[in-house]
Amino acid sequence: MKNLIYTALFGSIMMFSSCDDVEVPATMAMDISLEHVLDGQTLELNGKSFTLPSGEDFTPKKFKYYISNVALRNSVSGETYVEPNSYHLISEDGKKSIDLGMIPSANYDQLTFSIGVDEVANGKTDQTGDLDPNSDMAWNWNTGYKFVVLEGEFTNSNSGERQGLIIHIGTNPNFRTVTQSLTGVIAGSPTSLTLTSNLDELFKDPNILQLSELESTTIMFGEMAGKVAENYSEGFITVK
Amino acid sequence: MKKLSKLILSLPLVWACTSGEDPVISEPKIHYYIPEVSSTLQVAGFPQPERNMLSEEGVALGKRLYFDPNLSGNGKVSCATCHSPSLAFTDGLALAKHGVSGKGLHRTSPPLFNLAWQSEGLFWDGGAHDLESLNFAPLTHPDEMGADLNELISYLESDPVYKEQFEFVFSEGQIQSAQISRAISQYVRSLISQDSKYDRWKRSEAELTELELTGYQLYQKNCSSCHQEGLFTDRSFHNNGLDKAYPNPPALEGLYQGRFRITSNPEDMGAYKTPTLRNIVLTAPYMHDGRFQTLEEVLDHYQNGIQVNETLAPALSEGIKLSTTERVAIIAFLNTLTDSLFIQKHQK
Ligand code: HEC
Ligand code: HEC
Repeated sequence: MKNLIYTALFGSIMMFSSCDDVEVPATMAMDISLEHVLDGQTLELNGKSFTLPSGEDFTPKKFKYYISNVALRNSVSGETYVEPNSYHLISEDGKKSIDLGMIPSANYDQLTFSIGVDEVANGKTDQTGDLDPNSDMAWNWNTGYKFVVLEGEFTNSNSGERQGLIIHIGTNPNFRTVTQSLTGVIAGSPTSLTLTSNLDELFKDPNILQLSELESTTIMFGEMAGKVAENYSEGFITVK
Repeated sequence: MKKLSKLILSLPLVWACTSGEDPVISEPKIHYYIPEVSSTLQVAGFPQPERNMLSEEGVALGKRLYFDPNLSGNGKVSCATCHSPSLAFTDGLALAKHGVSGKGLHRTSPPLFNLAWQSEGLFWDGGAHDLESLNFAPLTHPDEMGADLNELISYLESDPVYKEQFEFVFSEGQIQSAQISRAISQYVRSLISQDSKYDRWKRSEAELTELELTGYQLYQKNCSSCHQEGLFTDRSFHNNGLDKAYPNPPALEGLYQGRFRITSNPEDMGAYKTPTLRNIVLTAPYMHDGRFQTLEEVLDHYQNGIQVNETLAPALSEGIKLSTTERVAIIAFLNTLTDSLFIQKHQK
């Protein structure tokens, strides 16, 4: 059924384009790559220490998250491409790109995507592809997926001791959708977009995380998880 | 009857072919079926997810997986280790240590039957939405089967019989973790206990003794608001007064807080799913942590042991007072809920 809609969309674009003077190909290649940045530097998981917005040091060990429901739109004409079955597990030591393949040509000026997994897909875990529970992103005892995972170590400024930080954010209320504007996408031309994931934004705006003052440095559910989600709803993933 | 249900079930298949999804290769040799459901369960139909409809072949594959210790990380633990058919799919232990790591679990193994109707969530706190999602927990947890899903798939792929079974049931070239869980779910969903003396009595196929009848009336008066007749559970969550306070060591992620851990609703603090009373004589020890060894102890708890706090179920605030003879009667009635036919039928 979905396919049908795409075919229809596709067909109408072909008709459109044949009226133009310059022949615009009906489809264009589109891919998105992701860069991970913390404190202005490229993220590394090999023991390198970074400085958090709170001024505390942090040595990241694991960074993974879901980007889902990717859509492109021309805000003037309303032409829209919605990626079907759109679930992408991005990780620092794994996949850092999203290949949309050949999509209908348009002068897209908006990119919409979600951080996490939507309520329907989050309601079960017997799924395949990037949602396969073999990637350690499915929760075992509370059905659903971790949306954003960041793990590492920091020095507790009160005790002076090294301490682990575990951030596993999931659950439907923490699902966030982001829309960003695009410039320079030209109908018919192959396009590579770059997104930057700014890890600093997990720790600030609006909620500054002072790790040494946290009641628990395992942030999974409840109020603290909600605060991190509030932080990542804006400025975390941006178009470069 | 069975034929009819197969016919009906084949309809959505045909429809799926024309809707533009993956073309289904029409070798309709798979035998879909809907199990017979006794009126005494007091349920409407047999609910199952559209993505995983019961078939004879699916159940057979699921059964093989269920009893296969090679699924576990050390080749020694199967589902049946903790959910054994002879004990109505429990293990007779409070907090078992027979998982791969040998570390003690924090909750007791519940019985596995009539779970098709557990619509409000599985596990003691209802955290798992359905069987298909739940299975990854025991499969991968280090204190249970400790399997690596990718290694598990290699094992199944390398076994020609499994390979053929999976291909037959799911018509896909590659075995995937989702299929493993779905097959096991089909087997577990097919476990239905509905032929106890109580059921036969309700169907006018047997008689209860005077004592059992008295016990039945006492059950109706004191227990049936939660352990509702039919499934003998209301599928809901209550605090039945086991503890006054609920410690929360961070490493256990709210495990002692009951349903609150899942909903973050203060009213759910210390609430657990009402367990069924069917086959109750076979499934000791009792409660989510197996703290009571006998039904006598359970009745003692309801009579004298209720811990009062804000979330205690109102029905229990005064406790449940029973005389000695009433206790004998209620236990006699609980004995009529044992389903020997079910136990026999499902011996491996
Ligand atoms: C090492 C022991 C152990 C093994 C092995 C094990 N389980 Fe369990 N099972 C448990 C415990 C303990 C619980 C209760 C957990 C909870 O509620 O938090 C449970 C709960 C369940 C439930 C929920 C039932 C309900 O009424 O909510 C199902 C279903 C289940 N297990 C199926 C399985 C299957 C299928 C397997 C094999 C793939 C399996 N278990 C292997 C110990 C085990
Ligand atoms: C207010 C609801 C409520 C009432 C009334 C109630 N129960 Fe329960 N019962 C529960 C809940 C909830 C549990 C599980 C508690 C837990 O494990 O934390 C339970 C557990 C049990 C268990 C243990 C089952 C198992 O598999 O471990 C038995 C046996 C039991 N109840 C018997 C009775 C009897 C007999 C009565 C009447 C005399 C009764 N209950 C009345 C809610 C209730």
